[in-house]
Amino acid sequence: MSALPEVGAEAPARTRTPSALDLFMFSASAWLLHRIHYDTPFTTEHDGHPGLLIHGPLQGVYLVQTAESWLGEGARLRSISYRHLAPAYLGDSLECGGTVTGADADGVEVELWARKTDGTVTTTGKARFEKR
Amino acid sequence: MGVITEEARRWANREYPRFEMQVTATDIAKFAHATGETNPIHFDREAATAAGYPDVVAPTLFPYVVRMHASALVPPEELEADGSPSADVPPLTTRRAMAGETSVVFGEPILAGDLITVEKRLAQMYEKEGRSGPLVFVEMEFTFTNQRGELVARESFTRLYR
Repeated sequence: MSALPEVGAEAPARTRTPSALDLFMFSASAWLLHRIHYDTPFTTEHDGHPGLLIHGPLQGVYLVQTAESWLGEGARLRSISYRHLAPAYLGDSLECGGTVTGADADGVEVELWARKTDGTVTTTGKARFEKR
Repeated sequence: MGVITEEARRWANREYPRFEMQVTATDIAKFAHATGETNPIHFDREAATAAGYPDVVAPTLFPYVVRMHASALVPPEELEADGSPSADVPPLTTRRAMAGETSVVFGEPILAGDLITVEKRLAQMYEKEGRSGPLVFVEMEFTFTNQRGELVARESFTRLYR
């Protein structure tokens, strides 16, 4: 089993640019019916957004995947908390990254984020991974 | 005087029915494809067993799929105009909804064939003054267990209404 990274280590950044198809597949797979992810006229005219929203929970998945692909099979996600700070819209690219902020004998604490190319952080999270 | 009325407070003191989801390999594959997973343990039973799982294993955040079905698998007339399940929407004048904060603690993984029970309760509802007017926070708690009674996940989820 490979060792977990040390405090200060950074995840390789992964940029995600979900398409309208990706947004729809996520809604469909979860049976998430909220129109702001697939109905553009409703989203812009009724809710006043500039476009379809990238789901908060999909960004949560991006954070988890950023950490899981970095830490590999030797680590298992025990807990995560994430918050949405700003909306992300269809067409936005989200650079997802993370850094180790704590380590002990059993695992690591990781800070994770997704940010737009203009630097706006849309989602931040903290996660704990433990050795399998 | 805030936007959370007595009517909304009465609404908050309610119980939600338990919900069971029979999770299939198809459900898992749909979510895995939708989120760009490529690891064959989410698609292929042989790959999953080779990796030490008894069957195809769901991606880590799959409990989200279970709780969305628990909320939204209702007849269309039980949905709001924005598609949200009516039972989840408090009687407020602020009705435009967005996801806020999520915290999940994980137990056993979800496997194809599992029968997952989700219990749901409203933990708290409170308001804050936002830049564009009042914001109402509705925090729900979910407990997910499998058919052996093992804890799969516990989640707290806050939705914002503005």
